[in-house]
Amino acid sequence: MKPAAFEYHAPDTVEEALGLLEAHGDQAKVLAGGQSLVPLMNMRLARPAVIVDINRIHALDHLTPDGDALRVGALCRQRSAERSAIVAARCPLLHAALQLVGHVQIRNRGTVVGSLAHADPAAELTAVLAALGGTVTAVGPDGTRTIPADEFFVSYLTTSLDPRELLTEARFPTLPEDAGWSWMEIARRHGDFALAGVGVVLAVRRGRIAEARIGLTGVGPTPMRAVRTERALAGRAPADALWTEAADAVREEIDPEGDIHASAEYRRHVAGVLTRRALAEACARTAKAA
Amino acid sequence: MAVREIALRINGRTHTGRAEPRKTLADFIREECGLTGTHLGCEHGVCGACTILMDGEAVRSCLMFAVQAEGAELMTVEGLADGNRLHPIQQAYWEQHALQCGFCTPGFLMTTLAFLRDTPRPSEREIREALAGNLCRCTGYQNIVKAVAAAADTLASGAHPDAWPAFARSVAVPAPATQPECASASDAPNPPVSKKTRAASGTRRKGARDQSRPAKRRRS
Amino acid sequence: MKLEGTNTLAAPIETVWKMINDPDALRRCTPGLKELKEIEPDHYEATLNVGIAAVKGTYKGTLTISDKRAPSHYMLVLEGSGGTGFMKGVGLVDLEPQGEGTLLKWTGDMQIGGLIAGVGQRMLGGVGKMLIGQFFKCLEQHLGEDV
Repeated sequence: MKPAAFEYHAPDTVEEALGLLEAHGDQAKVLAGGQSLVPLMNMRLARPAVIVDINRIHALDHLTPDGDALRVGALCRQRSAERSAIVAARCPLLHAALQLVGHVQIRNRGTVVGSLAHADPAAELTAVLAALGGTVTAVGPDGTRTIPADEFFVSYLTTSLDPRELLTEARFPTLPEDAGWSWMEIARRHGDFALAGVGVVLAVRRGRIAEARIGLTGVGPTPMRAVRTERALAGRAPADALWTEAADAVREEIDPEGDIHASAEYRRHVAGVLTRRALAEACARTAKAA
Repeated sequence: MAVREIALRINGRTHTGRAEPRKTLADFIREECGLTGTHLGCEHGVCGACTILMDGEAVRSCLMFAVQAEGAELMTVEGLADGNRLHPIQQAYWEQHALQCGFCTPGFLMTTLAFLRDTPRPSEREIREALAGNLCRCTGYQNIVKAVAAAADTLASGAHPDAWPAFARSVAVPAPATQPECASASDAPNPPVSKKTRAASGTRRKGARDQSRPAKRRRS
Repeated sequence: MKLEGTNTLAAPIETVWKMINDPDALRRCTPGLKELKEIEPDHYEATLNVGIAAVKGTYKGTLTISDKRAPSHYMLVLEGSGGTGFMKGVGLVDLEPQGEGTLLKWTGDMQIGGLIAGVGQRMLGGVGKMLIGQFFKCLEQHLGEDV
C-alpha cells in the first residue's frame, strides 16, 4: 500500500505549475488535497510519473464574492468553504452539500475545485456546480478559458481539461434572495459516496414556478441536470402532486447503472423520491424567504 | 526519485529524517521520527487510524506525503499526555472503556481533540457526526461517544486550561455564528444536521427509525 | 457483468464481417491495446493499458476469435491479467443485413477481478459499457474511411 516512485515538484506560482504541466503533459498529475488521488496512488491504481503539488501556490487559496457568484480558488479547502459565512448566506446549496462530502478529516485537506477536477460520478460538489449552472476556469499553454459545468464533466473521472491545464478556480452562482433550495442524498453509510443525490433550486413568483433546477449525482457517468423535468415544471403552480409528477419525470430522464451497492432500479426509484422531497423542501424555503 | 532531508515540527519539537517524496507522512512519523502512536489501518483514507493534527486540523496522514508537511505544526497522540498525566480526553476514554485493542484509539483521540476545541458542548448527534471518519472494530462506538461527552464536560469545567497546547490550535476560520436553516422537523437548535445521517446511517439510535433497509420501508 | 448493445453500420454485411476479423481493425479500435501479436490465425497475444483517467492498469493476455459462422456470427474472448487485477471478456457478435447496411448485435460477459474490481466496483459497469462503446464507434469510423 505504498505509492510508486514519482518526481515531485512544489511550485510557488501558477506560472511555474503550468511550466511543469507543459513539460510533462499526461505524465503529470496535479496534487491539491490529495484525498482522491493519494488513495489511488497508495494502491498503485494510479502511478503518475510526476506530481505537481500546488499546495504552496497561496494565491489560489481564496473564496471571493464576485457580483452574483462566489469564486472559489483551487486551494480553498472544503472545510473552509463549509465554515464560511459567505457561503452559508449566499450559496446555501453549496453549504448544505459540503457537509456531506466525506468526513471532517477529508474536508480539512480536500479542495472544492479538486473534487470538481476529479469528477467522481457520485460526488456532491459536481452536482451542485451543475445545478447552479456554474463554471470552472482553466489556465493552460493556450491561455485562460471558462468552462461551463455541462461541458466540463465528460464521463467517469473524466473532464474536458487538457493535461497541460490547471484549474485555478470555480464559480458558483449565488442564489437570489427569494429562491428556495434543497440538497438530499442517500448513501449506505454516512460519508459514503451517494447512491443518488439531488440538488434543487426553485424560484416561485406570483404563485408560479419561475425557474426550477434539478441537479443529480450518482445516476450516470457525470452529474446531470434533469432539463426535461425542469422545463415541465416551469410556469406550474407548486403543489404536492406536482412534486410527485416531477419525481416520475426524473425517473424517466435518468439511466442509472447498477452495482453491488445498489441496483439500477433502486437508484432510479430513490432519485425520484429524493427529487420529490427536495422540491417540497425547496418550495417551503421560498415561502419563508418571501 | 531523490531521497531528501525533511524537517517536521511535531508536538512542538523539530524532527528530521531522510526520505523520498513518496514517503507518506504517516510512515515518516512512524519510521523516521519513531512516533509509532500513529497507526496504519487502511492506507487509503477510510479508517482514520492515522489521524493527526496539522496546523490544528485533523487530517489523514496516510494521504499526505511527508514533504508536504514541512513548515506546518503537527500534533500526534504522543503530544497529548503530560509525562504520566493523561490528557483529560485520554482519561475520559479510559474511564468510559472506550478502547479495547486500542488500535484505532490514537486516531479517535486526535479527532476528538480538534472537535472539542471547536465544539465544546456537543450534542450526541454532533459527536457521532464528528467521529464518523474514524472506524473502530472492537467497541461498537457506544463507549467512545460516552467518552467524548464525558471529556466535553470535564474540559468545559475550565479546570484544564492547557488542554490545547500551541501546536493543537487551529489557524482556520471559525464557523459562522449563525447557521442557515436545514430543514428537519426533529432538529434541535444545533448546527445543521445531515439529512443523510437520518436517512442512511446504519447506526441504531434509540428512537431513530432504522432506514438501513430501504426496500422494506412502507413510506416512499 | 452482462452487457449488450446494438450498432447500425453503414456498410454491407460482408464488409463488416471482414473488418471485425481484421487484426488491424482490432489493433486500432480495442481501447488501450498496445500490442497484438498473432500466434496463429484468430489467436493473438495482447497487451492492454486500459482504464479511466488516472486509473490505468496494464494487462497481458490473449485475444481469441472462435465459433465463426461467416458472415454473421463469432465469439471473441479477451482475457488478461496485471498488477491491478484480471479481466476476461466473452463477446458474442451477430451481424444481420439491414437495408443497405448491417445491424451488429453484441452481448458480452465481463469478469473483472482483483484490486481494480474491489475498489472501482461502482464504476465498472458504466466504464465497461463506455469502453465497448468506444470500440464500436471506432469500427464505424474505420468503416467510413475504408468505404
